[in-house]
Amino acid sequence: MNFFKKTLLALMTAGATVGASHAQELRIGLSAEPTSADPQFFDSAPNSALAAHLFGSLVSADENRKLLPGLARSWKMLDDTTWEFKLQPKATFTSGEKLTPRDVVYSFCRIPFVQGSPGTFSDLVKTIASIDAPDDETVVIKTDKPDPILPNRLISAFIINADAFGGGKNIKFKKDGCEDFGDNPNPSDFNNPAKSVGAGPYKLAEFTPGSQIVLERNDNYWGEVPHWKRVIMKPLTNAGARVAGLIAGDVDMIEAPSVQDFERLTNSGFSVARALTPRLLYIQLDQNNDPAWKSPTVKGVDNTPMSDRRVRQAMSMAINRQAITDKIMGGLAAPAGELLPYPMFGSTKDFPVTEYDPEGAKKLLAEAGYSDGFQITLATPNDRYINADKVAQAVAQMWTRIGIKTDVDAMTAGTFFGRRNKFEFSAFLAGYGSTTGEMSEKIDALVLTRNPDKETGTLNLSHYSNPAVDELVTQAKQTVEDKNREQLLQQAAKTAMDDVALLPVYFEVRPWALRKGLTYSARSDEQTRAMSVKPDTAN
Amino acid sequence: MNKPLPAFSDRSEAPWRQHLARLLASPSAIIGLALLSVLLLLALLAPWVAPQNPYDLSQLDVMDGMLPPGESLTSGFTAWLGTDEQGRDMLSAIIYGMRISLGVGAVSVVFACMIGATVGVLAAYAGGKVDAIVMRIVDLQLSFPSILVALILLAVFGRGVDKVIVALVIVQWAYYARTVRGSALVERRREYIEAARCLALPKHRIVFRHLLPNCLPPLIVVATVQVAHAIALESTLSFLGVGVPVTEPSLGMLIANGYQYLLSGTYWMSTFPGIALVIAIVAINLVGDRLRDVLNPRLAH
Repeated sequence: MNFFKKTLLALMTAGATVGASHAQELRIGLSAEPTSADPQFFDSAPNSALAAHLFGSLVSADENRKLLPGLARSWKMLDDTTWEFKLQPKATFTSGEKLTPRDVVYSFCRIPFVQGSPGTFSDLVKTIASIDAPDDETVVIKTDKPDPILPNRLISAFIINADAFGGGKNIKFKKDGCEDFGDNPNPSDFNNPAKSVGAGPYKLAEFTPGSQIVLERNDNYWGEVPHWKRVIMKPLTNAGARVAGLIAGDVDMIEAPSVQDFERLTNSGFSVARALTPRLLYIQLDQNNDPAWKSPTVKGVDNTPMSDRRVRQAMSMAINRQAITDKIMGGLAAPAGELLPYPMFGSTKDFPVTEYDPEGAKKLLAEAGYSDGFQITLATPNDRYINADKVAQAVAQMWTRIGIKTDVDAMTAGTFFGRRNKFEFSAFLAGYGSTTGEMSEKIDALVLTRNPDKETGTLNLSHYSNPAVDELVTQAKQTVEDKNREQLLQQAAKTAMDDVALLPVYFEVRPWALRKGLTYSARSDEQTRAMSVKPDTAN
Repeated sequence: MNKPLPAFSDRSEAPWRQHLARLLASPSAIIGLALLSVLLLLALLAPWVAPQNPYDLSQLDVMDGMLPPGESLTSGFTAWLGTDEQGRDMLSAIIYGMRISLGVGAVSVVFACMIGATVGVLAAYAGGKVDAIVMRIVDLQLSFPSILVALILLAVFGRGVDKVIVALVIVQWAYYARTVRGSALVERRREYIEAARCLALPKHRIVFRHLLPNCLPPLIVVATVQVAHAIALESTLSFLGVGVPVTEPSLGMLIANGYQYLLSGTYWMSTFPGIALVIAIVAINLVGDRLRDVLNPRLAH
């Protein structure tokens, strides 16, 4: 034992005993602050997490993104382009008003027209052609083309109250601007507790940017009333300050303690929760085999070695994923073999993770004609993903050991993305999450042939292209039946992984830490929800 | 003021010998010099002294990561100061980091000094508009904090030891220009310069052979202070994530790296490089302080 350990342990146990007095109050240290309480203002995890407390959406999702009834108690597909949603008859807003189809139409109408939105939700409703209400509890949505994942997207389409914000009496959904829309509230109106009306389990009591957000329980909530009467969210963007706040008992729960502190918190009696997220850290390798192309950061050879599948396979086999997740990510990551973790839609159970085999990798390299190896630079952003520059160094070690002498070029995310999109890297490490929690979104962006016109392969900067994969995904997008669609996506993902289209490294695990006596059912969408924090029965 | 510099008046004994004797008369300077020589020796002989080459990725193994001081690595030797998360032996990393830090400090100071001194002495000799323009540029540059200028430069240049050196030269030359100009203005009016002019010696000869050598003492003092400053600046830049490449950490980057682990009890990753940096800077400042006393003509007797 040394001095540091002792002091830290003492501090931690002291902190863990404080805080029991606020029996029905929960104080949360947020890693990122919501920019507005307007649920349609900004498509980002912190904003959506706050919105989930204050508002409801037609479809909700459980911890693992399985769809659950929300403000819609059920939904079904009438034909390839028509969905019918049955509204929850008990659902009411905090104003006491009952939920009607008009609220749904008003909400969807406003989504593309939110004033000053830094990142809109308009993708959620872009396929919707019309919305009808045959009766007061039914909403029928027609889409332009078959849209099998519409319910997945509607998870983030929060419903606001038409009357509270002055929606038109005879509002009618139109693709480029609704008829009789009425007033379009300013996003700042939602930050005013007097004006904010939602159908969520909590009501807004205070919204002070940079200081705190206070929520009061909505005791008339139509669903299960949450345990905590009062929730205080404090933005503590510095990871060290967050952990210190938890140890000192200033907050009961924190988001994202740093990888470095997590183990220590676990060992000293704090309650922790972790969720496997769909965020994949992957390496893309330049596969352009055009003889006129000089791969930007490859040295020692004239062509692009990574256009040979065997070389890519060898580079994948050289990576000791378990060592990276254990040693560098402190257990807050899971080795990845494909694009999405099981059981998310389109992933395959027990998909094999490429095994660590440096000897086999060397043999494969020799077979491909690179027994003398070559030189490469692995680029990575150093301020975007947790420990990415350290992971890149570890990968560089492992590649160097099989004969591919690797340098690491770590830079700020702004520089990185700019240069990456200009194809300035022969190898780069980056991450990609998921908003829908299913395969087609990720495969579309990372693996399909890059085609700006069709908006496919937007993040495929490796020149990888396999018509078979493209075809499978095109088919899947037109397949409405879940089971068939999932099979097509699984097959597409497997084909791409067999080609070593990219090297999956690991999925991030999102951690939370709570004072002793609390448990949190962690969510893979990385949202922090007071509703999912429960005291142990003993308390 | 018209009295010639005492240190240079007595031609019977080599002046540097006098200076050295007076430098060594101070115990703190001796300690500083001793520490500095040890560090310099370690830095120069790093490949032979360090148990591991921390910049050779093939010698590192993440499985050796974050071992506390005194544990053995898989490759056999003992990491007396522990390892970082990449499995880098901290002792080796500090020795190599010291090499980068001292090297960057010394090289950037030499170049900044050469450029600054030339500009300063030329400005002083030319006088008039040239002098005014050059000195306003110097004023402008000195009005910005050096760390800010260096950060902007490195954001443009990218990472690399050479780029850090260039950035440090750009932010530091102005100090030398101003110092040299100040003393050159005084020297310019002295009899020996006038004598040289009467002999119709070429201008460059007067400037570089007569004027510049007599401006050296204050320049040396500024340079020793600036070496320490340059090292601290390089460490700050690396700490902030610009500067040297991540695979070749300098002391500043080692500290930044370990800093993230400080709260989790892995103290050795930032404490030891921090101590090494403090020792280096204190040693240079001790020597520099005494050097200033020795070379200051007003304190000579």
